[in-house]
Amino acid sequence: MSSVNAQWRSLEELMQDPDFVSRVEQEFPMLGAALSAPRDRRQALTLMAASLALAGAGLSGCDGAPEGHLIPAVRMPSGVVPGMPDYYSSAHVEGGYAAGTVVKHFMGRPIKVEGNPFHPASLGATSPIAQAELLDFYDPRRAWGMTQANLPRSRSALEQALGEQRDKLAATGGAGFVILTGASTSPTLAAQFDALRKSYPQIRWLHWEAVGRENAEKGVALAYGGRFELKPLLQDADVILAIDSDLLSAAPGHLRLAREFAARRNPTRAKMNRLYAIEATPSLTGAVADERFIAGPRETRRILLALAAALLGGAPVEGPPWLDRIVSDLRANRGRAFIHLGPDHAPQAHALVLAMNEALGGRQAVYTLLDAVTHASSDDSLSLASLVTDMRAGQVSSLLIIDSNPVYAAPGALNFAEALGRVEFSLCLSATPNETTAAALWAAPMIHPWEGWSDARAFDGTASVMQPQALPLYQGVEPYHVLGLLLRPDPPPALDLVRQTWNDRLGGAVGDAWIDALAQGVIPNSASPVSNRPLRDDAARAALPEPSSAATILLFRPDPYLLDGRYADNPWLQELPRPLSKISWGNPLLISPRRARELSLANGDVVRITLDGAHVTTPIVITPGQSDDCVVALLGFGRRHAGPVGRNIGVDFFELMGRSCAAPDIQKTGATEELAGTQHHAAMFDESGVYARSGALSQFLADPGFVRRSDEPQPSFYEWKPEGPAAWGMSIDLNACIGCGACVVACQAENNIPVVGKAEVLREREMYWLRIDRYYDGPPESPKVNFQPVLCMHCEEAPCEPVCPVGATMHDAEGLNVMVYNRCIGTRFCSNNCPYKVRRFNYFDFAGEERRAIESRNPEVTVRARGVMEKCTFCLQRIAAARIVADRDGETASAVVTACEAACPTQAFTFGDLAAKGSEVAARRAGPLSYALLADQNTKPRVTYEAHIFNVDKPEETQK
Amino acid sequence: MTLFQARSTLAVSADSRRPNANDPIVAPEQTISTMTAKICAPPLQERWPLWWKLSLGAALFLVLILVISIGWLFYAGIGIWGIDWPVVWGFAIINYVWWIAIASGGTFISALFYLAEVEWRNALNRLAETITIFAAACAAIYPVLHLGRPWLFYWLFPYPNVMTLWPQFRSPLLWDFVAILTYVVSSILFWYFGLVPDLATMRDKAVAPHKRRFYGVLALGFRGSESAWRYYHVGYGLLAALMAPLVISVHSIVGLDFAGAATLGWHSTLFPPFFVFGALLSGFAAVMLLAVPARRLLGLEDFITGRHFDILGKLLLTSSLCVGYAYLMEAFTNFYGPDAAEKRLFANKITGELSPIYWATILFNVLTPQLMWLRRVRLNEIFVVLISIAVIVGMWCERYVIVVMSLRRTHLPSAWGGYTPTIWDWLTLFGAVGLFIAGLLIAIRLLPAISMFEMREVILRNARRDR
Repeated sequence: MSSVNAQWRSLEELMQDPDFVSRVEQEFPMLGAALSAPRDRRQALTLMAASLALAGAGLSGCDGAPEGHLIPAVRMPSGVVPGMPDYYSSAHVEGGYAAGTVVKHFMGRPIKVEGNPFHPASLGATSPIAQAELLDFYDPRRAWGMTQANLPRSRSALEQALGEQRDKLAATGGAGFVILTGASTSPTLAAQFDALRKSYPQIRWLHWEAVGRENAEKGVALAYGGRFELKPLLQDADVILAIDSDLLSAAPGHLRLAREFAARRNPTRAKMNRLYAIEATPSLTGAVADERFIAGPRETRRILLALAAALLGGAPVEGPPWLDRIVSDLRANRGRAFIHLGPDHAPQAHALVLAMNEALGGRQAVYTLLDAVTHASSDDSLSLASLVTDMRAGQVSSLLIIDSNPVYAAPGALNFAEALGRVEFSLCLSATPNETTAAALWAAPMIHPWEGWSDARAFDGTASVMQPQALPLYQGVEPYHVLGLLLRPDPPPALDLVRQTWNDRLGGAVGDAWIDALAQGVIPNSASPVSNRPLRDDAARAALPEPSSAATILLFRPDPYLLDGRYADNPWLQELPRPLSKISWGNPLLISPRRARELSLANGDVVRITLDGAHVTTPIVITPGQSDDCVVALLGFGRRHAGPVGRNIGVDFFELMGRSCAAPDIQKTGATEELAGTQHHAAMFDESGVYARSGALSQFLADPGFVRRSDEPQPSFYEWKPEGPAAWGMSIDLNACIGCGACVVACQAENNIPVVGKAEVLREREMYWLRIDRYYDGPPESPKVNFQPVLCMHCEEAPCEPVCPVGATMHDAEGLNVMVYNRCIGTRFCSNNCPYKVRRFNYFDFAGEERRAIESRNPEVTVRARGVMEKCTFCLQRIAAARIVADRDGETASAVVTACEAACPTQAFTFGDLAAKGSEVAARRAGPLSYALLADQNTKPRVTYEAHIFNVDKPEETQK
Repeated sequence: MTLFQARSTLAVSADSRRPNANDPIVAPEQTISTMTAKICAPPLQERWPLWWKLSLGAALFLVLILVISIGWLFYAGIGIWGIDWPVVWGFAIINYVWWIAIASGGTFISALFYLAEVEWRNALNRLAETITIFAAACAAIYPVLHLGRPWLFYWLFPYPNVMTLWPQFRSPLLWDFVAILTYVVSSILFWYFGLVPDLATMRDKAVAPHKRRFYGVLALGFRGSESAWRYYHVGYGLLAALMAPLVISVHSIVGLDFAGAATLGWHSTLFPPFFVFGALLSGFAAVMLLAVPARRLLGLEDFITGRHFDILGKLLLTSSLCVGYAYLMEAFTNFYGPDAAEKRLFANKITGELSPIYWATILFNVLTPQLMWLRRVRLNEIFVVLISIAVIVGMWCERYVIVVMSLRRTHLPSAWGGYTPTIWDWLTLFGAVGLFIAGLLIAIRLLPAISMFEMREVILRNARRDR
């Protein structure tokens, strides 16, 4: 007996050992937290018994996996060719709206996300977030167990607790039971909610998004008296007025909208549309606008009233002088003009804009009204604020939180965490542990969307069935299962639920239609019907709420990549430079140049910002083109309970949300913080026009080749002639580039480009093969923005090649500048000699140090070692794959799509064989707007650009 | 022994040993035998004074730091340095160019002035050549440390291998590798060859058997026969004739490392001669700087006299004017040339946030040496030391301007960056200084500091002339 006693004692001691606890914490975060908590001997024994049980469960296989699928293949399943990729459709859901994706697998492992060309919201393109979903899928932090009061529990204990809830629901009829989840378009989830309501009439649910579009939805309801979805049809819009709009970056269907917008941007191929932007803080929409005007919140209200007066009639309101020009342009293009208002404006403003759009006669032509796509909350009066009030009042006894993080993302003024403490039973389902799982009574790991069956609808209502991409990697719980448990003890699997939803709608030959729907990733003809609901008369008379009269207004915007913080743990998204600020790993407060001057602030100066007694300290960044009336806080950072990637990166501004509209007090603290920017030159640069070339439409019409008049062909000593069957080249249309960053993440995913982390970004060692340069042009208060994707130019006279002493970078017969990693000894002379600076050096073993599942890497691309130079290969692996197919078929490889080209929502990239007759890339290269970057270097780059044309009459007009 | 009385200060006051413009090349009272006795004495001395032990201890401490820095570098990777994107070259290249330039003085004084049959060189060539080999050794470390994968440095050799791969003969780095290798090997040969007759003298003078054996083996059986001397002079002359162009070629090729690139701020035909000028300037400065303590601490005042300081001062001034000309031409070609990006870069160099480094270069390399116009300054040891240090620091700044400031501002403004050296950059720099000093200290401990056999010729010639 004594030996047993000794053993127990030593184990107990072991658990108090900080080293051991920290090691455990790395592997099993919740277990670590539980172990380090003080406890008595009895609890310790319980804990160990539980962990032994868990270990046993781990040994015996995946707990949550479907049965009968775990037998390893003795013979390969038919259709799987070793070494060849497979593609399965899925969808990326953001704010409830789906954008179709295709997941590329190697031997059953997802390695890359592509867009689904059949899906109306994707058309083959993806967003950076959809690409980065891959890392979330493999995130080892998903391996956490269920907990009750932060102590590990078994799955059956959870099911038992849910069984008790079921009994309680049956007894109370659902009173006091609330389900809180994000916005959803899933018909299956809707059906499940309906079933719940049928069984328990008083059950309530709330679809809540921290960064939602409820203003726009309410605006539509005001204007049309019901729940509808506005679908812009930008391909037919000649004049677009975007007011604080996120039309091209975050609005539902933004990938498609960007495509439609960009299709009308290159005057050599289409009749140009014209985009006016009026905004308080620069956005992607404003950056690509032909004319951009700055207006703070108060001025925007006046502009809306002036517009309404001009377009809807009524007493004239005086707007800014330039507004007349916009109004007359809108009027002149009746039926082809569209106004879009951003989601931060009040519902009344949305109603007013909808009335203006009706008045401009664009309905059915440049936008349509569809039946609502998103699922409504159980009752209209339910909001997060009212929920918190109910929780405080003890009217909520059970709260089920699914895939939502209100403890972090609810406005700080609500103090959700405190209210949550008053709820008797709370369960939070989340893929990774977060602030809410830590605060809830019960917490359980949720499966990743790629691990289960589900469905979702696009912005136009088109539905997709999302199939599992892999067996669950970790022991996640399906939300459908949890909701099902509230109905009966043995709920049907999610597959049955999803099939049940679609059986009726797919019609007769269910089997084939189902397979087709999965293969295509869309369910045909499932789009929402167009509504003919007329505008309500009083929409035009909506009274705009009075904005704050404070001198400076604090505006909140979601971070473009972390959104409401849910992607804070994703290293690709953390490191991706923000389109305009080019800052990664942080969210400094955006402040206008003049306001910064007044407060004598420089980039990186730390300020203390106080609002209603709550305060945060944050570095600032001076943002050219921002209104002096506001400072802008980007949400999604400063997560306290996130993984090692996202924890305590940046500042949590949710704390200041929901407070009064008083002016925030901004005080310089004297401290400074280094901002991890990837573009270091002073913001203003007069000669940027030489690099990212641009001009006015009138200039182009007068002289189509004006952008390259200054480039004289230069003689060369060496005339290298491509030998090859193919001559690979790329043309990048700067008219199309909106700077979204999808290509950068696609390149990173395709080519195993490591993330280097904040410290190394600060030391200017980021590894991107493809970067988007951002140039400002004009005065700092209101500059024009030019984006320019820069990647290896694959110069025919490549300066990098002759300087490498070991010949590690060479030309191949098809004009590719290839990099032989094995031969590289790391002199870095090639980088010095590259005028475009597209080469990146592995100063450390960046790839080895990356916290990333090896399975998630692209097996067709070498992972580079320490001390080796690397750069864009034009996706050589894709070219090689095409060559193999071409060799087999006795043809010349031609159809190659690079990763950046595939992801780009606006088709800015065109890649192909310059030697092939009739190739698109050759045609674009020959176009009048085509020019080579740094042509005077005579490097004969294989990448050319098409200059950015602004649809204005005179160049100076763009400099507003 | 008076020879080893450490002089705590290089006292200027009432010192009979102060350099004087009228000094002869060798003090007239020195005869062949007194000279030989004086030069041979220190290496044969059993105990060395405290200053030597302390300086060697300090130098070896720096060597230890160098070893640790290199060990950590190999273990952790060159990311421990401050180099980044786009400044991918940093201290390693700056230090390399700096050291190899310091090395030039020895070869130039020793070989070129030998061919020109200049008498005064005989007192300085041993010291100068010793500076050369240790500076070249320090320089030779850096290109290997600089590599991302230093263990593969031998891929630069055109050696036969199973993959039949050759190095890239078009790359200036390959030329550089060959030039440096040739230069280091030839310098060591030249230095050692010049030592052989003196080693024979040491062998003959040494009493202790282990010393006799040590110098005997090194003297390679040189007995001073007429035929040996005949062959020796032919051989030495040939080596000198080889070394003189080598010193030009090696610095031209270091210049081509930069000029051969299309990089802004480097792509200039001026660079090869510019680098030769710069090398001479720092070479003369290094010899001058070390001649002062060598003279004082080893009691060589009779052999390194005011004449030497006078001549070295003039050489320093001349090379400084050449360097000044190069700076002027760099500015002029930028101004006169068509390249807007080059103009922008140059404007940034002279007015940007790092412009103090550019102006320090001008101050230290061009303006300060102008004091050498004054004979009083040339003969004042304190001024000589200060000006030499200024030049050596100035030359380091010059390389910083060339390497870092050019790379920070490349063609595309989007790729502009900064550069901040880390502690490891500095430790690797100072560690190599320790290696250099330790090498010199050990050399003077073991070897005669002045070429005795050549000194004898001078004394003989003087004696003959006097008669």
